[in-house]
Amino acid sequence: MGEHNWKAICWGGFPLLGFLLVFPFLVDSEESYLVYFLFLTFIYVSMAQGWNLVAGYAGQASLGQHAFFGVGAYVTAIAWKAEWIGYLDPVGMLLSGLGAAVLAILIGIPLLAKLRGDYFALGTLGLGEILRVVFTQGGSLTGGPVGLMLPSSAYESMAPYYYIALAIALVTLLVLFLLLRSSVGLAFVAIREDEEAAGANGIFVLKYKILAFSVGAFFTGMCGSIFAYYLFHIHPSGVFSLNWALLPVLMTILGGIGTLMGPIIGAFVMSAVFEMANTWLPDIHPIFSGAFIILVMLFLPKGIMSLGSKGDQSPILRRLLPFKRAV
Amino acid sequence: MAAFLQILVNGVLFGSMYGVAAIGLSLIFGTMQIIFIAQGAMMILAAYITYWIFTLTSVDPFFCFVLIIPIFLGIGWIFYAGLFSRVAAAGKNPSLLLAFGLMILLENLMSLAWTANTRAVTTSYTGMGLAVGNIQISFTRAVVFLISLLATGLVFFFMKKTLWGKAVRAASENIKAAALLGISPRRVSGITFSIGIALAGIAGVATATTYPFDPYFGFVFSLKALIAVAFGGIGSVGGAMFGGILLGVIESVSAYTISGGWADAISYGAFLLVLMFRPQGIFGRSAAS
Repeated sequence: MGEHNWKAICWGGFPLLGFLLVFPFLVDSEESYLVYFLFLTFIYVSMAQGWNLVAGYAGQASLGQHAFFGVGAYVTAIAWKAEWIGYLDPVGMLLSGLGAAVLAILIGIPLLAKLRGDYFALGTLGLGEILRVVFTQGGSLTGGPVGLMLPSSAYESMAPYYYIALAIALVTLLVLFLLLRSSVGLAFVAIREDEEAAGANGIFVLKYKILAFSVGAFFTGMCGSIFAYYLFHIHPSGVFSLNWALLPVLMTILGGIGTLMGPIIGAFVMSAVFEMANTWLPDIHPIFSGAFIILVMLFLPKGIMSLGSKGDQSPILRRLLPFKRAV
Repeated sequence: MAAFLQILVNGVLFGSMYGVAAIGLSLIFGTMQIIFIAQGAMMILAAYITYWIFTLTSVDPFFCFVLIIPIFLGIGWIFYAGLFSRVAAAGKNPSLLLAFGLMILLENLMSLAWTANTRAVTTSYTGMGLAVGNIQISFTRAVVFLISLLATGLVFFFMKKTLWGKAVRAASENIKAAALLGISPRRVSGITFSIGIALAGIAGVATATTYPFDPYFGFVFSLKALIAVAFGGIGSVGGAMFGGILLGVIESVSAYTISGGWADAISYGAFLLVLMFRPQGIFGRSAAS
């Protein structure tokens, strides 16, 4: 596909990937803050890609991703506590992903059939909040507002978390890539650009919307699972926090919605910015983050990827950068 | 029976605050097509200003209504001209996130400046109540309710009877057609935005006089205002106030009959039902998107 700069990917992407693969061996993974930072960033990459699939390619902006994250976390936690699965068990993570995907299908059918655009976003937001309340009231099954405690004695090293998160991010990228190359991807874009025309051309719109929604949910659920394994204590206000819904959205838009590299770049840049702010301006770092978001929306509303195409840049940016051909 | 009436009254009084914020949200959504998620944060800002004016000068908080309105009209205009008008061309997602960034910035600035401790304005009449039959009505909440109705009436009058109000209504129905008729979309959006922020200011002063608040209280309030708008319908001033009151009543009744924890879920559940089965709300005219 012409839109991918294969040269950049081969010369930049693969060496970077190689470096990331060996990185935990270069530093002490227990002491290194970077390993933890990358672990979190990989999770954000996967969640951002999941949202990108639903919103950037299928055109349905969802604000309810935190529901899938939380459900994924709880599925793993409950299954582990009941001793159906073990520590860092791939079966557990798959179960979480599947649970989230099933949830997506269940709520997707009524929501995607009836709601469009802003209303759909609000509907998913509402559902996420409802789920948070449900899990808070869940009694002994979900541990109520205190949540579930998991045996933290199982923790051995940070390295498995790093690699699992990296694997999830890579698999998400791969699945998105394959999906988008196929006729499914064409259907998505057709729906995004003009839903009625797509339907008139014989595309079963609802099916594809639900497909995008559940694939995105699947990976978000797996992220919730690995997070539960990491935190060892999950509670509703933590794993159903709206941050899990809003940050991937922010990262995708910053990086460039509707592009494959956008969410990756956005996730890395935003995580880096937030962490640097946290380190150097600890007391006021949320202020810095808020200001950063505002500045990004003013100057880069179509994301970092838009720096490549002059037509997509914001008017302010175009006036500031007087070169004829953009970077 | 008396208990039920009491709950109802409480719900109505509390809901009127949701209603005022909701009118602003509805107006902004109608003309600019964005969900201004920072409405709650603006409200809290107004609450803090009220608190400090009262604490430092002992001026009665209710006088702050008169002060806050022009200040917040100005702030609204500045925000629009400085921020939102520039992002409007880029689409809805950037505008939404701009509002989100603004919310985070404001909340944390307030937290930094005035600490995250809960504040409340306590005056000589804060505890006063009126008794109507078997029902206790708090004096401050009653005054706030009346002021909310007054604000609703003023906005309604503005929309129906003044030329700019008609321009705003025209723009919220079809901004391109309005532009063809010579109505400047920028001007109309700016006016609407200012009014919306001023309404948030009024809701903020109301909050300060009746409830304790902290810098992060605003976000939940924004969500509730959104639910109120969904109930009442976008583009309807009276509808937004009705939606707010309805939400207040639902919350009040659920909290009493079922339990505090589930009240939120019921509000969101009602929200979803309305979105799915009557997206234009009870009074809404135009079904957006």
